[in-house]
Amino acid sequence: MDPMKAQQLAAELEVEMMADMYNRMTNACHRKCVPPHYKEPELTKGESVCLDRCVAKYLDLHEKLGRKLTELSVQDEEMMRKAAVGSGH
Amino acid sequence: MDPDQQLRNLRDFLLVYNRMTEICFQRCTSNFNYRNLTMDEEHCVDSCAGKLIRSNHRLMGTYVQLMPRMVQRRVEEMESKATENAKAAASASVMPPVTEASSASQTTITSSPPPQIPGLLAADAGPEARGSLSKPAGLDIPVELDAAVFNPNLALTYKLIVLEVFFFWICHKM
Repeated sequence: MDPMKAQQLAAELEVEMMADMYNRMTNACHRKCVPPHYKEPELTKGESVCLDRCVAKYLDLHEKLGRKLTELSVQDEEMMRKAAVGSGH
Repeated sequence: MDPDQQLRNLRDFLLVYNRMTEICFQRCTSNFNYRNLTMDEEHCVDSCAGKLIRSNHRLMGTYVQLMPRMVQRRVEEMESKATENAKAAASASVMPPVTEASSASQTTITSSPPPQIPGLLAADAGPEARGSLSKPAGLDIPVELDAAVFNPNLALTYKLIVLEVFFFWICHKM
């Protein structure tokens, strides 16, 4: 597979994952910040501020988890490599 | 590993990543007085991440252990059905009207294997099913196929499925 096609596929995948994350984030923040009372159509100030902070927290969390995931998967890979080397001898 | 498989693995990994973020966010964040994550929330997120990743690893390990047994049972079922079909075909071909018998045996052979093969391939769980769902459509059993050829193909299919699951586990890292 040529690198151009691989790059294009990776970019498409990234876009899809960003869209998926965005959908999950909107669901989660709506559930957290907007109580289902629906007395009036306007957002209260509290709800608006909550939504802002919710988005900031979600993105922060997303980034932290990504770093933690790569860290753990690197550890796993090393462990498996050591196991493979150990069993080889 | 072919690039399609790699792409599927990457896609699965990214989906799990998104799901993890959602779950940990739902369970851990409660304080919307601040824009940044509080110390409690950070600690909760660390624990959440570790727990989810380790539980995923454990699930994968158990699945890899149990799946081959299921596949083996399916394969044995199919093999016994195939031998039954072979006997039926042999007895049918002994009958005097040759052309009628041959068409009858051909139809029995063509009609019975197709439902079994999707069953065997459906024994794979989600990740495999996507790749293998295309196989039943393309796997049009040729009319001349007889049971003697069918059995070695089954053993090979079984080995391929076990290998696929094993490589998926090793390379997925989740």
